[in-house]
Amino acid sequence: MRIACPYCGERSLDEYLYSGDATVRRPDFASPTAQADFVKYVYERKNSPGQHRELWYHAAGCHAWLVVTRDVSTHIITAVEPAKDVALGTASSMKDTA
Amino acid sequence: MADSTLQPTSAFSHLEPTSLPGIAIEPRENFTMASFAAGKGRLEALAAAIREAYGVELPRRPQRVVGNGIVFVWLGPDQWLAIAERTNNRDLEVELKQRVAGLASVVDQSDGRVIVRVSGPLAREVLAKGVPIDLHADTFGVNAVAITHASHIGVIMWQVDAAPTFELAMFRSYADSFAHWLLEAVASTVPAAA
Ligand SMILES: [Zn+2]
Repeated sequence: MRIACPYCGERSLDEYLYSGDATVRRPDFASPTAQADFVKYVYERKNSPGQHRELWYHAAGCHAWLVVTRDVSTHIITAVEPAKDVALGTASSMKDTA
Repeated sequence: MADSTLQPTSAFSHLEPTSLPGIAIEPRENFTMASFAAGKGRLEALAAAIREAYGVELPRRPQRVVGNGIVFVWLGPDQWLAIAERTNNRDLEVELKQRVAGLASVVDQSDGRVIVRVSGPLAREVLAKGVPIDLHADTFGVNAVAITHASHIGVIMWQVDAAPTFELAMFRSYADSFAHWLLEAVASTVPAAA
């Protein structure tokens, strides 16, 4: 599998680290339901086939955090966006295929 | 009076400047190098300060630019390497900290990283034996920059001229491992080196 870094261009998987589900948000540790919230945040996944939003880190490249939209059944990647832009709501989806 | 200027010791224990048919290798010594990253919301002000000081635009893509007496290499989003000859004890960490005060974080890299220069018509073929990116001239040309790995050693590499001449920077402690790989790659490419 190859991932097209929005900064570096297309690079092999061995330059990246997978860093989990990009759709979960860290809960408030001060909340009264924090323990249950954190269990859900850390462990509970549907593990569904099809499209996922994943965090990948370009560890051996530019060190950017990326949000990769990938079909885990086919490995087809339909978008790679800087995680910073996703977090700030300024991402313009960068289309690409695996 | 004796010259008491301290000279850095080469990190390469057995890499001498080497010239063979089609390829030349040379550890680059006596440079000053600093990395810097734009502060939050300071990118445009930083670019203006660099333009003012060195007459050049900081690259926003994996590119290298040559300014007045200095080279800037893209080092990731909003980050760069600055490199210059250590003439008259020039120290880019000190220099940049003055020129971009409040706009960027500056860290000295002069002794932390080494640079190897690889040039000649066979340079692409030799480097391709360990670098996993496309080095074809149509894709990776003069002033192109890549942060990747060479024989599993993290490198920042850029093309200096159309000879072609490449420079590869890596952490100092990897210097000998990298040199070992490079000499093996040369020996398996250039008949005269074997
Ligand atoms: Zn990258």
